[in-house]
Amino acid sequence: MTKAPNPSGESAFNRSAARQLALFGVAIVVGLVGLMWGLNLLASLTATAGGVPPAVDVANNAITVMLTEEPPQLDSTRSTDQVSGIVLGHVMEGLLRYDDRGELAPGMAEAWRIDEGGATFHLRADARWSDGQPVTAHDFVFAWRLGLDPENASEYAFILYPIKNAEAINQGELPVTELGARALDARTLEVEFERPIAFFDKLTAFSTYFPVREDFYRATEGRFGADADQLLYNGPFALSNWVHGQSLRLDRNPHYWDQARIRLDRINVGYITSDPNTRLNLFKDEKIVMTGLTAENLTNALEQRWHIHRHMDGSVFYLDFNHREGRLTRNLNLRKAMILAQDPGELVYKVTKTPGYLPGESLFPRFLEGVQGKFRDEHPAPTYPMDLQAARAHLEAARRELGLEAFPPLVLLAGDNPVSNIQTEYFQAVFKKNLGLDIKIDRQIFKQRLAKMTSGDFDLVLAGWGPDYNDPLTYGDLYASWNLNNRGRYSNPEYDRQVRIAQGAMDAQTRVAAFAEMQRIIHEDVVIIPNYERGVAYVTHPRVKGILRRVVGADTDYTYAWIEP
Amino acid sequence: MAETAFTADDFRPAAVTESAQAVARPSLSYWQDAWIRLKANRRALFSLYLVIGLSLFTLVGPLIWTVDPSLQDLEQISQPPGADRDATVVAPHRPWDGAPELPLRSGLSLAASPTTQSVRLVWEPLPDAAGYRLYRNLFPAAGGQALGLPLFETFNLREPSAGEREGATPRKNQRRFEDRLDLKPRSYYYSVAALDAQGQMTGDVHRLELTVTRVITAQEAEAMGLVEDASLLNPGDRIKLRAHPLGTDYLGRDLLARLMAGARVSLFIGIAAPLLFIAFGVIYGAAAGFLGGWPDQALMRFSDFVVALPFLLFMILLRVASGVQPGESGITPMVLAMVLLSWPAAARLVRGQILQIREEGYISASRLLGGGAPYLVLRHMIPNTLGVILVTMTFAVPTAIFTEAFLSFIGMGVAPPTPSWGSMCNEGIKTMLTTPHELIFPALFISVTVLAFNLLGDGLRDALDARMRSAE
Repeated sequence: MTKAPNPSGESAFNRSAARQLALFGVAIVVGLVGLMWGLNLLASLTATAGGVPPAVDVANNAITVMLTEEPPQLDSTRSTDQVSGIVLGHVMEGLLRYDDRGELAPGMAEAWRIDEGGATFHLRADARWSDGQPVTAHDFVFAWRLGLDPENASEYAFILYPIKNAEAINQGELPVTELGARALDARTLEVEFERPIAFFDKLTAFSTYFPVREDFYRATEGRFGADADQLLYNGPFALSNWVHGQSLRLDRNPHYWDQARIRLDRINVGYITSDPNTRLNLFKDEKIVMTGLTAENLTNALEQRWHIHRHMDGSVFYLDFNHREGRLTRNLNLRKAMILAQDPGELVYKVTKTPGYLPGESLFPRFLEGVQGKFRDEHPAPTYPMDLQAARAHLEAARRELGLEAFPPLVLLAGDNPVSNIQTEYFQAVFKKNLGLDIKIDRQIFKQRLAKMTSGDFDLVLAGWGPDYNDPLTYGDLYASWNLNNRGRYSNPEYDRQVRIAQGAMDAQTRVAAFAEMQRIIHEDVVIIPNYERGVAYVTHPRVKGILRRVVGADTDYTYAWIEP
Repeated sequence: MAETAFTADDFRPAAVTESAQAVARPSLSYWQDAWIRLKANRRALFSLYLVIGLSLFTLVGPLIWTVDPSLQDLEQISQPPGADRDATVVAPHRPWDGAPELPLRSGLSLAASPTTQSVRLVWEPLPDAAGYRLYRNLFPAAGGQALGLPLFETFNLREPSAGEREGATPRKNQRRFEDRLDLKPRSYYYSVAALDAQGQMTGDVHRLELTVTRVITAQEAEAMGLVEDASLLNPGDRIKLRAHPLGTDYLGRDLLARLMAGARVSLFIGIAAPLLFIAFGVIYGAAAGFLGGWPDQALMRFSDFVVALPFLLFMILLRVASGVQPGESGITPMVLAMVLLSWPAAARLVRGQILQIREEGYISASRLLGGGAPYLVLRHMIPNTLGVILVTMTFAVPTAIFTEAFLSFIGMGVAPPTPSWGSMCNEGIKTMLTTPHELIFPALFISVTVLAFNLLGDGLRDALDARMRSAE
């Protein structure tokens, strides 16, 4: 009969359990809130201590920018990469420089004279280093000798080769003192040429030609350019702080000669990241003044109503054939078949879709100067419009010439990044569909790809070339038989002859005619399949004006920038 | 306490009934019993149906949906799911000489009807313009300078030098532009702004809103297999484009066909690799457990050594060492690497079971009756561990699928154009924000497959557990 449990007892237990649970719940909520508040406080404390200022800092007349990578080092005689080029372009200045319209302008030199045999530069009296000492002609001679010294092993030593004996010095055949550059006095620099050169003035704006002061260089004991205090600056800004892997700070150089043109007091490099989405978020949060756009985040940028700009960076991209003995791609008919079976317009407008890209037509990009106007206006590039019938006829001819039953698969070497992945898969499908050719994709990281390109372990390679100096020769000599960057080992005596003409002649007419000849040979011999000329779309902060993007020299130039009040 | 009254009836002997000793239900084998319990587990049953559905999707799907997974439909790149799109047939694209085909209006106007092939624009001069910049926008442009994406600029920073002919650079006076960049059938807002001598905008702007129509050339239609013969099509005809029920990827390839092709790779690796490594593990573990003593010690220490190898690192090393040639799919080395590295778990499990079973009474009985070692192992021991093996197998399948997906995701898996779910995710994640379906579908398939196999494994473990038999 007394089977029913005591109801009051059970409910009492329930009540105490519920109370305990509620207490625990409250404790957890309070604890979490406290923890979050504490963490937030800590975060704000560290942020104010070592934080990065906002994109536009009106009080300090400063802007904040980001870099995609950290410069490996800032020794101008040894630097090769684009990021170092950007930083060096702000803190250093050569004999000449490029102004806000992209024209050559006086830099350290206030007057100069160039003729067939050599050049003379007169340095300005108020050219000074960031420690107040004058920049002298000796500093240039020292820097150039350093750049050529085999012990320094500069990868860009070849750009100094127009100077007399430079190549022999770099090969270790002559002592550095034999270099054809002399300081007549502190303010006069005399240069002797190896052979006549038409564009030496443009070369002097390149970073390998920047000055280095001997006593300072010796005092750094091999650490030159490794830290902010291991460098001496003669440019508009000076590096005042360099936290490796994190940030750089560029402050106005009070000893720079042309104070009037510099309107910013400070440039903070607050972030170093290569991830496009991170950069876009930084820009969205007003942490940086400029960032590049990709096809994927373009809609987002339009929605946000940002100021979008466009810039052609001068790089050309193309499919390079392997012209070595024994390779199928040595056959002209096969190359013709392949170039006729594809359309760079389709690649650029429908596949990569990146704003700013232009369909490739020639090895020589559109920005290059001809005799009077642009080279490409004076000598329009001949192209192969897509023609599948002709392509298949050439393919059949190639098959017969090579004595093949069917074509074995061709290996397409490419880098491993989103744009080239899309491109390789597109070409794989295009050549399969239009020609029935099988393409095998060989994706490699940059170094590995370079090694394979050098050893010739490919049939086709996705390649690109950016300008070192503002002259068509920077592209034209690529396919000279002696150029080590001629990865496909293309060799044509007539082409070599034209390169020699362009190297030696002083007359613009002769040189441009030689470049036009090279363009014709590359077209007729189908040395490459041009893909596109690269452009970038980027957004800038609406209050920061005067940011320059350059084709040669520092890719991004903030020295003319200002903050709109 | 109520009083109970007994009657005489209560003390009568019970009638003998025949059925009392009859077996109420038919005798059940181990597997029948397990199947009944599995059927009662609705989660497991549902997962089983999912697994069957996936197998059908993989094996029968390509027979029904016969689209080539590597066919690129460049007219429909990154299209969201949907079908029933059509296009107008037009002539192939020709370079434009600048002659307008349509009557021009004032300001910015169209020179030809806007299509996905090209949009041809012509504009009238703006006052005091040293150059023009043309913008395209997806949204109506607000005030200020944010006009959209700059497509074209006639301003040339280089001033003509003294001796230069007027108009030596034809781009300077150009007041027309042909836009071909990634045109979709939708509305666009074009504006052309005047630039002053410094290249800054003067504030004068022509604007134009237009809607682009989808077009296709007859040759493209033939190449894509939409029509038999291109010459049968005339400009102006309307034809249906290929239907893509799950949309297309960044090269216009059909996502459904790619998911099927990817499933073949994923499920092949997901089933072949566990089958192989569990078979090896069972033999290895049975040998160790049955032999016992020092051979057992030696064998198990070696399996410990294999367990201690860092899995992913060795996976990648083996792949590299196996010398995969460029362009070859890395499926075989991947399976091989998984087999080489994953067998110890099964081996340990089976060895433990065998050690236990070895001491059971029926084994002694069998031995006393003259059963040899192979007979004991094959007839008594392994069948008794089958339940455990099957459960391990079902749990190993999702792990293997996941490993394959992961390796393909980081680019160590299959080579293009072979798709796999992992590599499809890798490609989809780049366009996650603009075209999420390219990521969502393969990710969904991975998740559902892995979940289905896990739940099925869970149900099987419950069903095959002999100790739960009495619960019925």
